[in-house]
Amino acid sequence: MTIAPQSGGGVAQRPQASGLADVIDTILDKGLVIDAYVRVSLVGIELLTIDARIVIASVDTYLRFAEAVNRLDISQEKEGLPGLVGDLEEGGAKHKTKGAIEAAGEKLREFADASGGERETQRSRRRGD
Amino acid sequence: MTAQMEDRPADGGQMGVYVYGILPGDIEVESGTEGVGDPPGEIRVVRHRDLAALVSDVHLDRPLGRAEDLFAHEELLDATAADVAVLPLRFGAVLTTDDAVAEELLGAHYDEFTSALQQLEGHAEYVVQARYVEQVILSEVLSEQPEAAQLNESIRGADPDVTRDARMQLGEVISNAIEVKRQADTEALGDALSGQVTASVVRPPSSELDAAYVALLVETGKAKKLQQAVERLAKQWQGRIDVRLIGPLAAYDFVGAPAPAEAAAGD
Repeated sequence: MTIAPQSGGGVAQRPQASGLADVIDTILDKGLVIDAYVRVSLVGIELLTIDARIVIASVDTYLRFAEAVNRLDISQEKEGLPGLVGDLEEGGAKHKTKGAIEAAGEKLREFADASGGERETQRSRRRGD
Repeated sequence: MTAQMEDRPADGGQMGVYVYGILPGDIEVESGTEGVGDPPGEIRVVRHRDLAALVSDVHLDRPLGRAEDLFAHEELLDATAADVAVLPLRFGAVLTTDDAVAEELLGAHYDEFTSALQQLEGHAEYVVQARYVEQVILSEVLSEQPEAAQLNESIRGADPDVTRDARMQLGEVISNAIEVKRQADTEALGDALSGQVTASVVRPPSSELDAAYVALLVETGKAKKLQQAVERLAKQWQGRIDVRLIGPLAAYDFVGAPAPAEAAAGD
């Protein structure tokens, strides 16, 4: 069960594992590895999952930073032209969402477009609760 | 309990037993709880002595890994972890039969799993993800690093093909500067939350703008205090760093092969 968000709260307001990126970061990378415990009865099954980790020190990162700094310059120069600044910021935000993790999410979403609505949280619990 | 291999679907494919996690045996699962697969298998409990595993049947000839599969795995374990200690398995663990789960997994590693569960008892995992606000952090770097400001000046308005080297250099300076800031802010976050956590693991950055990405093992009774501490930090960082608190989660970052008992012991 998640912590209920506090009313009028601050910035830390999303206390649940929400996005696909969070889930990928966690369950593909962490947790007990079955191979370490079981050999005889282990069944290999095809996994569609992909490595979502990004490489921080990369050519792409460097060029993206340079581009972002450049945009920063432009948006500062154009202050006073709200329409244009708004456009640039929007463009910037869009660019940000094009990170590797979201790209991974897009691929996964190809298999997932039917899911749509709210997922029911399912649980097990102690007997007698 | 052991009918999986005979339980053949209409298309003749074989079935396997997908394993989600290991937990104390005194639990039950709401009937109709759906797991991974398409169509999703129903969650069942396989027991051995006082240990249990959450499992569901899967078709071996159908790949797993759709977003629904990933969410089903995580949501089941996270919801479980809110009530009871659970050792989460990494996504994709499939064994042949319920008997194999009971004997080869639970039975063969009984002591290890029992001790790991005892250490996790009364705890859940939380993850704090803090990200720099891009424009703010870039401005900060430009004002602190004369080299970056110079490089930025040199490439302004110039032909991108000609300035590739300079742009690479600029990006590297920024990346390194952010790495230094990340270390400092991760440390600051650790200091601010240390009173509330039993153990912590710094995760590798999930984005080049991460200020901190840390998994925390937290006593159930301290969850509220943790949330308050994170909110105080978020307020302090407001405008420069966005903070998210995720949890409670199963203790994915605090179990490890081959001796999960040790993972929870650190401080």
